[in-house]
Amino acid sequence: MNYSALLKAFMPEAILVFGALLVLTHDLLGGRGRSHEYRAKIAAALGVVAVCIAGWMATTEFTLGATVDFLANDKLAFGARLAILTLSGLTVLFIGGTSKVKNPAEHVALMLFASSGFTLMAAAQNLLVAFLAFELSSLSLYILAGFDKTRRDSAEAGLKYFLFGGMAAAFMLFGFSLIYGLTGEISLAGIAAKLPQIPLSPLLIVAFVMIFVGFGYKAAAAPFHLWAPDAYQGAPATSAALIASASKVAGFVLLARFLAALLTKAGSIEIIGASKGWLGIFGALVIVSLLLGNIGALAQSNVRRLLAYSAIGHAGVMLLAALVTGVGLELPEVRNNLLLYYVFTYGIASVGAFGVIAVVENNGGCQQLSDLASLSKRSPLLGISLMVSILSLAGIPPLAGFYAKFSVFETLLRRSSIASAQSLDNVIFWLVMLAIAMSAIALYYYLQILKQALVVSPDKDQPTTPIRVPFMAAVSLLLCMITLIAVGVYPDLLMNLLK
Amino acid sequence: MTILHLCLIFSALLFSLGLAAALARSSGILVLLGIELMLNAANINFIAFWKFSPNPENGTGAMFAIFSIAVAAAEAAVGLALIIAIYRHQSSIRLQDANTLKG
Repeated sequence: MNYSALLKAFMPEAILVFGALLVLTHDLLGGRGRSHEYRAKIAAALGVVAVCIAGWMATTEFTLGATVDFLANDKLAFGARLAILTLSGLTVLFIGGTSKVKNPAEHVALMLFASSGFTLMAAAQNLLVAFLAFELSSLSLYILAGFDKTRRDSAEAGLKYFLFGGMAAAFMLFGFSLIYGLTGEISLAGIAAKLPQIPLSPLLIVAFVMIFVGFGYKAAAAPFHLWAPDAYQGAPATSAALIASASKVAGFVLLARFLAALLTKAGSIEIIGASKGWLGIFGALVIVSLLLGNIGALAQSNVRRLLAYSAIGHAGVMLLAALVTGVGLELPEVRNNLLLYYVFTYGIASVGAFGVIAVVENNGGCQQLSDLASLSKRSPLLGISLMVSILSLAGIPPLAGFYAKFSVFETLLRRSSIASAQSLDNVIFWLVMLAIAMSAIALYYYLQILKQALVVSPDKDQPTTPIRVPFMAAVSLLLCMITLIAVGVYPDLLMNLLK
Repeated sequence: MTILHLCLIFSALLFSLGLAAALARSSGILVLLGIELMLNAANINFIAFWKFSPNPENGTGAMFAIFSIAVAAAEAAVGLALIIAIYRHQSSIRLQDANTLKG
């Protein structure tokens, strides 16, 4: 191990951390006595610059040529890093216009710390690095969720998120320790090589289940979703945007890596009780997430809780996408794209939706669906970007969300008809059918949001004044919208990037 | 029964105790303590597996334990900060009182 290789491999993360420190220092020295608006703009601008440089470094030969054995250097890591940095950058832009977040510099710095955790998670090839990155991102997100100290909701959201997260992390660490004990290895490649020689013992199953608890929490998959609605509702909108977007990308990419190491190369479709064991657990997670997320969302009148439940529903489909990637149901160059395309476009749409909420919040609260009434009249830009984001979440063509869902379902159905194991076919076939049915249900609650924003006229006591969209927020919303439309019409823009 | 078995049984018991504390206690700090116990149970596993592994000289398990102790400390710091934040609003750290968000 030499340090120059280490520096090369960690360059994007190093820049993020350096950027975070720079944001803090500048606010401490240059922001003294300045207005809140000025400090927020400078912090957001510095943060975006740091994210852009990190993203640029991630694409150069300097980082790509690095070889350290505990960080992956493959296409999946490359794509996931770029996706995470894009989502973080778009989220940081919203800080530039918000008046809701006190201490904007600390907020931006924490977002950058969280992003470095996400990018490390996406590249981790080793249990230790995976655990440390998982905790780095989680600890930053707990603080971000509880960032608004003046509101009781925010503190409560942070505490609940922390308690669930801490418990999930403990489960995951215990699972890691068992895997280490059984194989004597902590690198994913070493584990994948050793696992097939080990008989399926109850201890191994306990280890798998405990690790899945950790991922289930990160992905907000039911039954580990309980923190999600509360965290989305109580957290500042910008924090919620990060929790809903970049955190998901990192969690699912890491999950796909673990699936590949722990299950497939271990040949476990054969050893783990001819696929019934773990696919059963996995299928149960998918079914419960789809049902609970989509049906729970129908009952919500709070727009943030609605988005949280829809995120749980989406987690079900993303688990299916991770299955395609992790278990290798498709050619390598296609399967990574499927997962990344899904989580990335989902993340962009979430950032767009929460960004609109963040801007509306500057002019009063935005919790209930009725707070969005006649949004398109108060600000056409907000109305249109909310429409594009929500329709993409619902999966309406030609937006990106449609192609994301379509490609995952299509791949699973096509592969399930030619796969050899008969039982595997049936499980996956019915899972996909359930996911398609739930997409139809999802359309109802998504259109409820749009009905408020585009059709309903406001009550007498609600404000009807035009909303001024800050410049940085407008840029971010426009970028989200353009990405969703462009990538939806030409999916190859993104798909070819990773080939 | 070897020493490794005893260590594993001890760590499993510690994990269960921690989980029970985390689930059953109503004070935020005691829940945090429960989570710390769960993390420590995993650390004991790492140390035991490392000590009785065929090649303890590479120190992997001990290294993992040291890092996770550091992470647990950071987690406690964040947790206590959030508990203080909630204490300022509801003047108690009973988790039952933290019920403004629901649905």
